[in-house]
Amino acid sequence: MNTIKLAWTYMRIGMLNELQYRANFFIQLFQSAVAVGTGLIGLSLVFGQVDNLAGWSRGELLAVMGVHILMGGVIRSAIQPNMERLMNDVLNGTLDFALTKPADAQTLVSVREFRFWQLTDVVVGLVILVVAVTQLQAKMEALQIVAFVAALLMGAVLLYCVWLMVTSIAFWVIRVGDIVDLFQGLYAAGRWPVSVYPDWLRTGLTFLVPVAFAVTVPAEAMTNRLTGETMLFALGLTLLFVILARVVWLIGLRSYSGASA
Amino acid sequence: MSSVVSISQLAKYYQVSEREGGLKASIASLFNRKYKNVKAVDGITFNIEAGEVVGFLGPNGAGKTTTLKMLSGLLHPTSGSVDVLGYEPRHRSHDYLRQITLVMGNRNQLTWDLPALDSFDLQRAVYGIPMDQFKATRDEFIELLELKDLVTKPVRNLSLGERMKMEIVAALLHRPKVLFLDEPTLGLDVTMQRRIRAFIAEYNKRYNATVLLTSHYMADVEALCKRVIVIHHGRILFDGDLSKLVNQFSSYKTLSLSLQNPDVDLSKYGEVVSKEDGRVTLRVPKAQTSQVTAKLLSELQVDDLTVEDAPVDDVIDQVFSQKEDA
Repeated sequence: MNTIKLAWTYMRIGMLNELQYRANFFIQLFQSAVAVGTGLIGLSLVFGQVDNLAGWSRGELLAVMGVHILMGGVIRSAIQPNMERLMNDVLNGTLDFALTKPADAQTLVSVREFRFWQLTDVVVGLVILVVAVTQLQAKMEALQIVAFVAALLMGAVLLYCVWLMVTSIAFWVIRVGDIVDLFQGLYAAGRWPVSVYPDWLRTGLTFLVPVAFAVTVPAEAMTNRLTGETMLFALGLTLLFVILARVVWLIGLRSYSGASA
Repeated sequence: MSSVVSISQLAKYYQVSEREGGLKASIASLFNRKYKNVKAVDGITFNIEAGEVVGFLGPNGAGKTTTLKMLSGLLHPTSGSVDVLGYEPRHRSHDYLRQITLVMGNRNQLTWDLPALDSFDLQRAVYGIPMDQFKATRDEFIELLELKDLVTKPVRNLSLGERMKMEIVAALLHRPKVLFLDEPTLGLDVTMQRRIRAFIAEYNKRYNATVLLTSHYMADVEALCKRVIVIHHGRILFDGDLSKLVNQFSSYKTLSLSLQNPDVDLSKYGEVVSKEDGRVTLRVPKAQTSQVTAKLLSELQVDDLTVEDAPVDDVIDQVFSQKEDA
Protein backbone atom coordinates (compact mmCIF):
# COMPACT_ATOMS: atom_id res chain seq x y z
CA MET A 1 0.00 0.00 0.00
CA ASN A 2 2.82 2.30 0.94
CA THR A 3 4.46 1.57 -2.40
CA ILE A 4 1.41 2.76 -4.29
CA LYS A 5 1.18 5.89 -2.15
CA LEU A 6 4.85 6.60 -2.73
CA ALA A 7 4.58 6.00 -6.48
CA TRP A 8 1.52 8.20 -6.65
CA THR A 9 3.27 11.07 -4.83
CA TYR A 10 6.20 10.92 -7.24
CA MET A 11 3.85 10.65 -10.20
CA ARG A 12 1.74 13.58 -9.06
CA ILE A 13 4.78 15.79 -8.57
CA GLY A 14 6.35 14.66 -11.83
CA MET A 15 3.11 15.50 -13.57
CA LEU A 16 2.90 18.95 -12.01
CA ASN A 17 6.44 19.52 -13.11
CA GLU A 18 5.83 18.55 -16.71
CA LEU A 19 2.61 20.47 -17.00
CA GLN A 20 4.73 23.59 -16.71
CA TYR A 21 6.35 22.75 -20.01
CA ARG A 22 3.55 22.69 -22.53
CA ALA A 23 5.99 22.76 -25.42
CA ASN A 24 7.02 19.22 -24.50
CA PHE A 25 3.48 18.08 -25.19
CA PHE A 26 3.58 19.40 -28.76
CA ILE A 27 7.02 18.00 -29.38
CA GLN A 28 5.80 14.67 -28.12
CA LEU A 29 2.69 14.85 -30.26
CA PHE A 30 4.86 15.55 -33.29
CA GLN A 31 7.11 12.59 -32.48
CA SER A 32 4.10 10.32 -32.11
CA ALA A 33 2.77 11.52 -35.47
CA VAL A 34 6.09 10.77 -37.14
CA ALA A 35 6.17 7.32 -35.56
CA VAL A 36 2.64 6.56 -36.73
CA GLY A 37 3.35 7.93 -40.20
CA THR A 38 6.50 5.87 -40.78
CA GLY A 39 4.77 2.83 -39.31
CA LEU A 40 1.86 3.13 -41.71
CA ILE A 41 4.18 3.63 -44.69
CA GLY A 42 6.08 0.50 -43.63
CA LEU A 43 2.86 -1.49 -43.45
CA SER A 44 1.62 -0.34 -46.84
CA LEU A 45 5.03 -1.14 -48.40
CA VAL A 46 4.85 -4.69 -47.06
CA PHE A 47 1.29 -5.23 -48.13
CA GLY A 48 2.01 -3.81 -51.58
CA GLN A 49 4.04 -7.01 -52.05
CA VAL A 50 2.25 -9.71 -50.07
CA ASP A 51 -1.17 -10.54 -48.64
CA ASN A 52 0.06 -11.61 -45.26
CA LEU A 53 3.23 -11.65 -43.23
CA ALA A 54 3.97 -14.95 -41.50
CA GLY A 55 0.25 -15.45 -41.17
CA TRP A 56 -0.54 -11.93 -39.94
CA SER A 57 -3.01 -9.88 -42.00
CA ARG A 58 -2.76 -6.15 -42.52
CA GLY A 59 -5.30 -5.34 -39.80
CA GLU A 60 -3.56 -7.65 -37.37
CA LEU A 61 -0.20 -6.04 -38.03
CA LEU A 62 -1.81 -2.67 -37.41
CA ALA A 63 -2.81 -4.00 -34.01
CA VAL A 64 0.82 -5.04 -33.38
CA MET A 65 1.94 -1.56 -34.31
CA GLY A 66 -0.62 -0.07 -31.92
CA VAL A 67 0.63 -2.19 -29.03
CA HIS A 68 4.24 -1.39 -29.96
CA ILE A 69 3.60 2.34 -29.78
CA LEU A 70 1.56 1.98 -26.61
CA MET A 71 4.22 -0.05 -24.84
CA GLY A 72 6.88 2.34 -26.09
CA GLY A 73 4.97 5.11 -24.31
CA VAL A 74 4.91 3.09 -21.09
CA ILE A 75 8.66 2.49 -21.35
CA ARG A 76 9.50 6.13 -21.96
CA SER A 77 7.15 7.52 -19.33
CA ALA A 78 7.80 5.18 -16.44
CA ILE A 79 10.61 2.67 -16.97
CA GLN A 80 13.41 4.33 -18.90
CA PRO A 81 13.54 7.62 -16.91
CA ASN A 82 13.84 5.76 -13.63
CA MET A 83 16.56 3.46 -14.91
CA GLU A 84 18.53 6.35 -16.39
CA ARG A 85 18.32 8.21 -13.12
CA LEU A 86 19.49 5.11 -11.28
CA MET A 87 22.46 4.87 -13.59
CA ASN A 88 23.35 8.52 -13.00
CA ASP A 89 22.91 8.12 -9.27
CA VAL A 90 25.38 5.26 -9.22
CA LEU A 91 27.78 7.31 -11.32
CA ASN A 92 27.52 10.44 -9.15
CA GLY A 93 27.21 8.76 -5.78
CA THR A 94 23.77 10.28 -5.21
CA LEU A 95 22.28 6.81 -4.85
CA ASP A 96 23.39 7.18 -1.22
CA PHE A 97 20.36 9.38 -0.64
CA ALA A 98 17.96 6.72 -1.90
CA LEU A 99 19.67 4.08 0.22
CA THR A 100 19.36 6.05 3.44
CA LYS A 101 15.59 6.36 3.08
CA PRO A 102 13.23 4.18 5.11
CA ALA A 103 11.71 2.59 2.02
CA ASP A 104 12.52 -0.43 -0.08
CA ALA A 105 15.36 0.80 -2.26
CA GLN A 106 14.30 -1.09 -5.37
CA THR A 107 10.79 0.33 -5.14
CA LEU A 108 12.14 3.79 -4.53
CA VAL A 109 14.49 3.84 -7.51
CA SER A 110 11.71 2.46 -9.72
CA VAL A 111 9.07 5.10 -9.06
CA ARG A 112 11.00 8.33 -8.72
CA GLU A 113 10.61 9.58 -12.27
CA PHE A 114 7.53 9.93 -14.40
CA ARG A 115 7.31 11.60 -17.83
CA PHE A 116 3.74 12.60 -18.21
CA TRP A 117 3.78 13.76 -21.83
CA GLN A 118 5.19 10.44 -23.01
CA LEU A 119 1.77 9.05 -22.23
CA THR A 120 0.74 10.64 -25.54
CA ASP A 121 2.12 7.50 -27.15
CA VAL A 122 -0.06 5.35 -24.93
CA VAL A 123 -3.14 7.20 -26.17
CA VAL A 124 -2.01 7.14 -29.81
CA GLY A 125 -1.22 3.42 -29.54
CA LEU A 126 -4.65 2.73 -28.08
CA VAL A 127 -6.37 4.64 -30.88
CA ILE A 128 -4.49 2.66 -33.53
CA LEU A 129 -5.33 -0.56 -31.71
CA VAL A 130 -9.04 0.29 -31.61
CA VAL A 131 -9.00 1.17 -35.32
CA ALA A 132 -7.23 -2.11 -36.11
CA VAL A 133 -9.60 -4.19 -34.02
CA THR A 134 -12.74 -2.64 -35.49
CA GLN A 135 -11.36 -3.41 -38.95
CA LEU A 136 -10.90 -7.02 -37.94
CA GLN A 137 -14.12 -7.74 -36.10
CA ALA A 138 -17.24 -5.99 -34.99
CA LYS A 139 -17.27 -6.76 -31.30
CA MET A 140 -14.75 -7.23 -28.53
CA GLU A 141 -15.37 -9.84 -25.89
CA ALA A 142 -14.82 -8.96 -22.24
CA LEU A 143 -12.47 -11.89 -21.75
CA GLN A 144 -10.37 -10.73 -24.67
CA ILE A 145 -9.93 -7.32 -23.11
CA VAL A 146 -9.03 -8.82 -19.74
CA ALA A 147 -6.46 -11.09 -21.42
CA PHE A 148 -5.07 -8.13 -23.34
CA VAL A 149 -4.69 -5.95 -20.23
CA ALA A 150 -3.12 -8.83 -18.30
CA ALA A 151 -0.70 -9.57 -21.15
CA LEU A 152 0.19 -5.90 -21.39
CA LEU A 153 0.86 -5.63 -17.66
CA MET A 154 3.01 -8.73 -17.66
CA GLY A 155 4.88 -7.43 -20.68
CA ALA A 156 5.59 -4.13 -18.93
CA VAL A 157 6.78 -5.93 -15.80
CA LEU A 158 9.06 -8.15 -17.91
CA LEU A 159 10.60 -5.16 -19.66
CA TYR A 160 11.10 -3.43 -16.33
CA CYS A 161 12.82 -6.50 -14.88
CA VAL A 162 15.21 -6.82 -17.80
CA TRP A 163 15.99 -3.15 -17.70
CA LEU A 164 16.62 -3.23 -13.95
CA MET A 165 18.99 -6.17 -14.34
CA VAL A 166 20.89 -4.41 -17.09
CA THR A 167 21.05 -1.19 -15.07
CA SER A 168 22.25 -3.10 -12.01
CA ILE A 169 25.38 -3.87 -13.98
CA ALA A 170 26.21 -0.24 -13.27
CA PHE A 171 27.07 -1.30 -9.73
CA TRP A 172 30.08 -3.11 -11.14
CA VAL A 173 31.06 -1.29 -14.30
CA ILE A 174 29.62 2.19 -13.56
CA ARG A 175 29.21 3.23 -17.21
CA VAL A 176 26.41 1.38 -18.94
CA GLY A 177 24.86 4.26 -20.86
CA ASP A 178 25.27 2.56 -24.23
CA ILE A 179 23.16 -0.32 -23.09
CA VAL A 180 20.12 1.93 -23.21
CA ASP A 181 20.68 2.47 -26.93
CA LEU A 182 21.06 -1.25 -27.48
CA PHE A 183 17.85 -1.84 -25.63
CA GLN A 184 15.98 0.67 -27.75
CA GLY A 185 17.32 -0.89 -30.92
CA LEU A 186 16.06 -4.28 -29.86
CA TYR A 187 12.73 -2.88 -28.81
CA ALA A 188 12.31 -1.43 -32.30
CA ALA A 189 12.29 -5.02 -33.57
CA GLY A 190 9.02 -5.47 -31.73
CA ARG A 191 7.08 -3.48 -34.29
CA TRP A 192 6.71 -6.74 -36.22
CA PRO A 193 5.34 -9.89 -34.62
CA VAL A 194 8.27 -12.01 -33.44
CA SER A 195 7.11 -14.94 -35.59
CA VAL A 196 8.43 -13.12 -38.69
CA TYR A 197 12.00 -13.37 -37.41
CA PRO A 198 14.37 -16.35 -37.77
CA ASP A 199 14.53 -18.74 -34.83
CA TRP A 200 17.66 -17.44 -33.17
CA LEU A 201 16.42 -13.86 -33.18
CA ARG A 202 12.99 -14.91 -32.02
CA THR A 203 14.51 -16.68 -29.04
CA GLY A 204 16.51 -13.59 -28.19
CA LEU A 205 13.46 -11.37 -28.49
CA THR A 206 11.52 -13.74 -26.26
CA PHE A 207 13.92 -14.41 -23.45
CA LEU A 208 16.72 -11.84 -23.53
CA VAL A 209 14.67 -8.77 -24.32
CA PRO A 210 11.12 -10.01 -23.89
CA VAL A 211 9.69 -7.96 -26.73
CA ALA A 212 7.65 -11.01 -27.70
CA PHE A 213 5.74 -10.87 -24.45
CA ALA A 214 5.63 -7.10 -24.26
CA VAL A 215 4.18 -6.57 -27.75
CA THR A 216 3.36 -9.71 -29.68
CA VAL A 217 1.44 -11.51 -26.94
CA PRO A 218 -0.86 -8.58 -26.06
CA ALA A 219 -1.47 -8.13 -29.79
CA GLU A 220 -2.32 -11.82 -30.02
CA ALA A 221 -4.88 -11.29 -27.29
CA MET A 222 -6.60 -8.67 -29.41
CA THR A 223 -6.54 -10.74 -32.58
CA ASN A 224 -7.89 -14.04 -31.26
CA ARG A 225 -4.56 -15.79 -31.52
CA LEU A 226 -3.79 -16.12 -27.86
CA THR A 227 -3.85 -19.53 -26.23
CA GLY A 228 -4.16 -20.34 -22.56
CA GLU A 229 -0.74 -21.98 -22.65
CA THR A 230 0.92 -18.80 -23.88
CA MET A 231 -0.70 -16.82 -21.08
CA LEU A 232 0.40 -19.32 -18.46
CA PHE A 233 3.90 -19.32 -19.90
CA ALA A 234 3.94 -15.53 -19.81
CA LEU A 235 2.84 -15.58 -16.19
CA GLY A 236 5.55 -18.07 -15.26
CA LEU A 237 8.22 -16.10 -17.09
CA THR A 238 7.10 -12.85 -15.46
CA LEU A 239 7.35 -14.35 -11.98
CA LEU A 240 10.75 -15.79 -12.78
CA PHE A 241 12.02 -12.44 -14.07
CA VAL A 242 10.65 -10.58 -11.05
CA ILE A 243 12.63 -12.88 -8.77
CA LEU A 244 15.73 -12.79 -10.96
CA ALA A 245 15.68 -8.98 -11.12
CA ARG A 246 15.33 -8.78 -7.35
CA VAL A 247 18.29 -11.10 -6.85
CA VAL A 248 20.52 -9.24 -9.32
CA TRP A 249 19.55 -5.94 -7.73
CA LEU A 250 20.35 -7.17 -4.22
CA ILE A 251 23.70 -8.61 -5.28
CA GLY A 252 24.52 -5.35 -7.06
CA LEU A 253 23.58 -3.38 -3.99
CA ARG A 254 25.76 -5.54 -1.81
CA SER A 255 28.73 -4.97 -4.06
CA TYR A 256 28.00 -1.24 -3.92
CA SER A 257 28.03 -1.31 -0.11
CA GLY A 258 30.99 -3.63 0.03
CA ALA A 259 33.45 -1.80 -2.13
CA SER A 260 32.56 1.67 -3.30
CA ALA A 261 34.40 4.61 -1.86
CA MET B 1 24.61 1.85 27.52
CA SER B 2 23.55 5.44 27.12
CA SER B 3 25.72 6.22 24.12
CA VAL B 4 23.87 7.07 20.95
CA VAL B 5 26.77 6.20 18.72
CA SER B 6 29.16 3.49 19.74
CA ILE B 7 32.00 2.35 17.51
CA SER B 8 34.56 -0.25 18.41
CA GLN B 9 37.68 -1.26 16.48
CA LEU B 10 35.92 -0.25 13.28
CA ALA B 11 37.84 -0.84 10.06
CA LYS B 12 37.15 -0.53 6.36
CA TYR B 13 39.65 -1.78 3.80
CA TYR B 14 39.22 -1.32 0.09
CA GLN B 15 40.72 -3.39 -2.66
CA VAL B 16 41.97 -0.98 -5.26
CA SER B 17 43.46 -2.10 -8.52
CA GLU B 18 46.66 -0.31 -9.31
CA ARG B 19 48.72 0.04 -12.42
CA GLU B 20 51.37 2.29 -13.77
CA GLY B 21 50.55 4.90 -16.38
CA GLY B 22 50.87 4.21 -20.08
CA LEU B 23 49.29 1.98 -22.66
CA LYS B 24 51.46 -1.03 -22.04
CA ALA B 25 50.72 -1.09 -18.34
CA SER B 26 47.01 -0.63 -18.88
CA ILE B 27 46.85 -3.53 -21.31
CA ALA B 28 48.86 -5.67 -18.94
CA SER B 29 46.48 -4.81 -16.13
CA LEU B 30 43.56 -6.20 -18.13
CA PHE B 31 44.99 -9.65 -17.69
CA ASN B 32 47.02 -9.50 -14.55
CA ARG B 33 45.53 -6.96 -12.23
CA LYS B 34 47.43 -6.06 -9.11
CA TYR B 35 45.39 -5.14 -6.09
CA LYS B 36 46.34 -3.00 -3.20
CA ASN B 37 44.61 -2.98 0.14
CA VAL B 38 43.77 0.57 1.15
CA LYS B 39 43.03 1.01 4.83
CA ALA B 40 40.47 3.81 4.71
CA VAL B 41 39.52 3.30 8.33
CA ASP B 42 41.86 1.27 10.46
CA GLY B 43 40.47 0.34 13.85
CA ILE B 44 38.79 3.35 15.39
CA THR B 45 36.87 3.39 18.65
CA PHE B 46 34.67 6.12 20.13
CA ASN B 47 31.28 6.78 21.75
CA ILE B 48 28.99 9.75 21.34
CA GLU B 49 26.36 10.59 23.95
CA ALA B 50 22.87 11.89 23.27
CA GLY B 51 22.80 15.58 22.40
CA GLU B 52 26.53 15.87 21.76
CA VAL B 53 27.84 17.80 18.76
CA VAL B 54 31.13 16.28 17.73
CA GLY B 55 33.52 17.61 15.11
CA PHE B 56 35.17 14.98 12.99
CA LEU B 57 38.41 16.38 11.61
CA GLY B 58 41.07 15.18 9.29
CA PRO B 59 42.68 15.92 5.93
CA ASN B 60 41.19 14.64 2.68
CA GLY B 61 41.27 10.87 2.53
CA ALA B 62 41.63 10.49 6.28
CA GLY B 63 38.59 8.22 6.50
CA LYS B 64 35.92 10.68 7.66
CA THR B 65 33.42 10.09 4.88
CA THR B 66 33.99 6.34 4.97
CA THR B 67 33.16 6.38 8.67
CA LEU B 68 30.03 8.46 8.11
CA LYS B 69 28.96 6.05 5.39
CA MET B 70 29.41 3.08 7.68
CA LEU B 71 27.40 4.89 10.34
CA SER B 72 24.55 5.54 7.92
CA GLY B 73 24.52 1.97 6.65
CA LEU B 74 25.87 2.67 3.17
CA LEU B 75 29.07 0.74 3.60
CA HIS B 76 29.61 -2.52 5.37
CA PRO B 77 32.57 -2.54 7.78
CA THR B 78 35.47 -4.88 7.09
CA SER B 79 35.73 -5.54 10.82
CA GLY B 80 34.74 -4.05 14.14
CA SER B 81 31.33 -3.04 15.37
CA VAL B 82 29.01 -0.08 14.92
CA ASP B 83 25.97 0.59 17.03
CA VAL B 84 23.74 3.61 16.61
CA LEU B 85 20.57 3.97 18.70
CA GLY B 86 20.74 0.25 19.33
CA TYR B 87 20.78 -0.62 15.62
CA GLU B 88 23.44 -2.08 13.40
CA PRO B 89 23.43 0.44 10.54
CA ARG B 90 24.46 -2.00 7.81
CA HIS B 91 21.07 -3.72 8.03
CA ARG B 92 19.48 -0.43 6.98
CA SER B 93 16.40 -1.18 9.02
CA HIS B 94 13.64 1.27 8.18
CA ASP B 95 13.14 2.06 11.87
CA TYR B 96 16.78 3.04 12.04
CA LEU B 97 16.81 5.11 8.84
CA ARG B 98 13.76 7.04 10.05
CA GLN B 99 15.82 8.35 12.99
CA ILE B 100 18.94 9.49 11.19
CA THR B 101 19.89 11.76 8.35
CA LEU B 102 22.90 12.16 6.11
CA VAL B 103 23.79 15.49 4.56
CA MET B 104 26.59 15.68 2.02
CA GLY B 105 27.67 19.18 1.16
CA ASN B 106 28.86 18.22 -2.29
CA ARG B 107 25.75 16.30 -3.37
CA ASN B 108 22.13 17.27 -3.80
CA GLN B 109 19.01 15.30 -3.29
CA LEU B 110 16.48 17.99 -4.18
CA THR B 111 14.84 17.70 -7.58
CA TRP B 112 16.54 20.23 -9.78
CA ASP B 113 13.55 21.44 -11.81
CA LEU B 114 11.04 21.57 -9.00
CA PRO B 115 10.44 24.10 -6.25
CA ALA B 116 11.87 22.86 -2.97
CA LEU B 117 8.34 22.64 -1.56
CA ASP B 118 7.65 19.71 -3.88
CA SER B 119 10.82 17.95 -2.80
CA PHE B 120 9.72 18.45 0.81
CA ASP B 121 6.44 16.74 -0.11
CA LEU B 122 8.38 13.79 -1.47
CA GLN B 123 10.32 13.56 1.77
CA ARG B 124 7.02 13.48 3.64
CA ALA B 125 5.82 10.58 1.50
CA VAL B 126 9.09 8.66 1.81
CA TYR B 127 9.36 9.06 5.56
CA GLY B 128 5.61 8.79 6.15
CA ILE B 129 5.55 11.97 8.24
CA PRO B 130 2.08 12.80 9.60
CA MET B 131 0.68 15.87 7.82
CA ASP B 132 0.38 18.16 10.85
CA GLN B 133 3.85 17.34 12.11
CA PHE B 134 5.21 17.81 8.60
CA LYS B 135 3.65 21.24 8.19
CA ALA B 136 4.75 22.38 11.63
CA THR B 137 8.35 21.28 11.10
CA ARG B 138 8.53 22.62 7.56
CA ASP B 139 7.20 26.03 8.53
CA GLU B 140 9.42 26.16 11.59
CA PHE B 141 12.53 25.49 9.49
CA ILE B 142 11.48 27.84 6.71
CA GLU B 143 11.15 30.60 9.24
CA LEU B 144 14.41 29.82 11.05
CA LEU B 145 16.35 29.92 7.79
CA GLU B 146 14.29 32.73 6.24
CA LEU B 147 13.38 30.79 3.15
CA LYS B 148 9.78 31.91 2.77
CA ASP B 149 10.16 33.60 -0.62
CA LEU B 150 12.43 30.92 -2.02
CA VAL B 151 10.58 27.67 -1.45
CA THR B 152 8.35 28.16 -4.47
CA LYS B 153 11.23 28.80 -6.88
CA PRO B 154 12.67 25.90 -8.89
CA VAL B 155 15.79 24.68 -7.12
CA ARG B 156 17.92 25.33 -10.20
CA ASN B 157 17.25 29.08 -9.81
CA LEU B 158 18.63 29.21 -6.27
CA SER B 159 22.13 30.23 -5.25
CA LEU B 160 24.49 27.62 -3.84
CA GLY B 161 23.87 28.80 -0.29
CA GLU B 162 20.10 28.93 -0.68
CA ARG B 163 20.15 25.46 -2.16
CA MET B 164 22.19 24.13 0.75
CA LYS B 165 19.69 25.58 3.21
CA MET B 166 16.92 23.79 1.35
CA GLU B 167 18.91 20.57 1.37
CA ILE B 168 19.26 20.80 5.13
CA VAL B 169 15.55 21.49 5.60
CA ALA B 170 14.70 18.48 3.42
CA ALA B 171 17.14 16.30 5.34
CA LEU B 172 15.71 17.26 8.73
CA LEU B 173 11.96 17.27 8.02
CA HIS B 174 11.52 13.90 9.67
CA ARG B 175 13.21 15.27 12.80
CA PRO B 176 16.03 12.76 12.98
CA LYS B 177 17.68 12.06 16.31
CA VAL B 178 21.12 11.59 14.81
CA LEU B 179 22.67 13.83 12.17
CA PHE B 180 25.64 12.87 10.02
CA LEU B 181 26.81 16.03 8.31
CA ASP B 182 29.59 15.72 5.77
CA GLU B 183 30.91 19.17 4.90
CA PRO B 184 27.52 20.88 5.19
CA THR B 185 28.99 24.32 4.54
CA LEU B 186 31.29 23.39 1.66
CA GLY B 187 31.83 26.25 -0.76
CA LEU B 188 29.50 28.67 1.01
CA ASP B 189 30.31 32.27 1.86
CA VAL B 190 30.95 33.28 5.46
CA THR B 191 27.46 34.66 6.11
CA MET B 192 25.78 31.59 4.75
CA GLN B 193 28.10 29.33 6.75
CA ARG B 194 27.17 31.19 9.87
CA ARG B 195 23.46 30.84 9.14
CA ILE B 196 23.68 27.14 8.63
CA ARG B 197 25.81 26.75 11.71
CA ALA B 198 23.28 28.65 13.81
CA PHE B 199 20.52 26.47 12.44
CA ILE B 200 22.32 23.26 13.28
CA ALA B 201 22.98 24.55 16.79
CA GLU B 202 19.32 25.48 17.18
CA TYR B 203 18.16 22.09 15.92
CA ASN B 204 20.52 20.36 18.33
CA LYS B 205 19.10 22.39 21.18
CA ARG B 206 15.44 22.02 20.31
CA TYR B 207 15.42 18.31 19.63
CA ASN B 208 18.42 17.20 21.70
CA ALA B 209 19.82 15.70 18.51
CA THR B 210 23.21 14.07 18.32
CA VAL B 211 25.45 15.49 15.60
CA LEU B 212 28.63 14.20 14.02
CA LEU B 213 30.01 16.79 11.65
CA THR B 214 32.97 16.99 9.32
CA SER B 215 34.13 20.31 8.02
CA HIS B 216 37.16 21.95 6.55
CA TYR B 217 36.13 25.21 8.08
CA MET B 218 37.45 25.41 11.60
CA ALA B 219 34.93 28.16 12.30
CA ASP B 220 32.18 25.55 11.96
CA VAL B 221 33.88 23.32 14.44
CA GLU B 222 34.71 26.07 16.90
CA ALA B 223 31.15 27.38 16.87
CA LEU B 224 29.40 24.04 17.13
CA CYS B 225 31.58 21.40 18.70
CA LYS B 226 32.87 21.17 22.21
CA ARG B 227 34.44 17.88 21.39
CA VAL B 228 36.51 16.92 18.38
CA ILE B 229 37.79 13.65 17.04
CA VAL B 230 40.84 13.95 14.81
CA ILE B 231 41.45 11.16 12.35
CA HIS B 232 44.41 10.63 10.06
CA HIS B 233 45.28 7.67 7.83
CA GLY B 234 42.25 5.89 9.24
CA ARG B 235 43.36 6.17 12.86
CA ILE B 236 42.27 8.43 15.67
CA LEU B 237 44.93 10.95 16.70
CA PHE B 238 42.91 12.84 19.23
CA ASP B 239 39.52 12.61 20.90
CA GLY B 240 38.52 15.21 23.45
CA ASP B 241 37.72 18.85 24.13
CA LEU B 242 38.63 21.30 21.45
CA SER B 243 40.46 23.44 24.02
CA LYS B 244 42.55 20.46 25.05
CA LEU B 245 43.50 19.81 21.45
CA VAL B 246 44.92 23.30 21.24
CA ASN B 247 46.73 22.89 24.53
CA GLN B 248 48.14 19.52 23.71
CA PHE B 249 49.33 20.12 20.20
CA SER B 250 50.04 23.78 19.95
CA SER B 251 53.68 24.46 20.60
CA TYR B 252 53.40 28.22 20.47
CA LYS B 253 51.21 31.17 21.40
CA THR B 254 50.47 34.32 19.52
CA LEU B 255 51.35 37.71 21.02
CA SER B 256 49.69 40.71 19.54
CA LEU B 257 51.00 44.14 20.55
CA SER B 258 50.83 47.83 19.74
CA LEU B 259 53.99 49.81 20.21
CA GLN B 260 54.56 53.52 20.61
CA ASN B 261 57.44 53.20 18.22
CA PRO B 262 56.31 50.71 15.60
CA ASP B 263 59.65 50.58 13.79
CA VAL B 264 61.51 48.56 16.41
CA ASP B 265 62.85 45.26 15.24
CA LEU B 266 61.11 42.52 17.22
CA SER B 267 62.65 39.48 15.63
CA LYS B 268 64.84 38.77 18.63
CA TYR B 269 61.69 38.21 20.76
CA GLY B 270 60.01 35.77 18.45
CA GLU B 271 58.90 35.09 14.90
CA VAL B 272 57.17 38.14 13.40
CA VAL B 273 54.03 36.94 11.67
CA SER B 274 52.56 40.24 10.58
CA LYS B 275 53.07 43.94 11.03
CA GLU B 276 50.42 46.40 10.04
CA ASP B 277 48.92 49.64 11.30
CA GLY B 278 51.38 49.67 14.15
CA ARG B 279 50.19 46.31 15.39
CA VAL B 280 52.65 43.42 15.42
CA THR B 281 51.89 39.76 15.72
CA LEU B 282 54.57 37.53 17.18
CA ARG B 283 54.76 33.76 17.36
CA VAL B 284 56.46 32.56 20.53
CA PRO B 285 57.18 29.04 21.78
CA LYS B 286 54.63 28.20 24.46
CA ALA B 287 57.16 27.53 27.21
CA GLN B 288 58.74 30.96 26.77
CA THR B 289 55.53 32.98 26.61
CA SER B 290 55.64 34.53 30.05
CA GLN B 291 59.37 35.21 29.82
CA VAL B 292 59.05 36.96 26.45
CA THR B 293 56.01 38.92 27.58
CA ALA B 294 57.86 40.21 30.61
CA LYS B 295 60.84 41.14 28.51
CA LEU B 296 58.73 43.01 25.96
CA LEU B 297 56.93 44.98 28.63
CA SER B 298 60.13 45.95 30.41
CA GLU B 299 62.26 46.75 27.37
CA LEU B 300 59.75 48.51 25.08
CA GLN B 301 57.04 51.11 25.26
CA VAL B 302 54.01 48.84 24.84
CA ASP B 303 50.52 50.36 24.50
CA ASP B 304 48.63 47.13 24.41
CA LEU B 305 49.44 43.44 24.50
CA THR B 306 47.33 40.29 24.21
CA VAL B 307 48.33 36.65 24.44
CA GLU B 308 46.28 34.17 22.45
CA ASP B 309 46.30 30.49 21.72
CA ALA B 310 47.31 29.64 18.20
CA PRO B 311 44.39 29.55 15.75
CA VAL B 312 42.82 26.11 15.66
CA ASP B 313 43.49 25.86 11.95
CA ASP B 314 47.22 26.12 12.53
CA VAL B 315 47.06 23.63 15.36
CA ILE B 316 45.31 21.08 13.22
CA ASP B 317 47.83 21.67 10.48
CA GLN B 318 50.57 21.05 12.94
CA VAL B 319 48.97 17.89 14.27
CA PHE B 320 48.93 16.40 10.82
CA SER B 321 52.40 17.45 9.84
CA GLN B 322 53.87 16.17 13.11
CA LYS B 323 52.34 12.76 12.60
CA GLU B 324 53.45 12.74 9.02
CA ASP B 325 57.06 13.09 10.11
CA ALA B 326 56.78 10.56 12.90
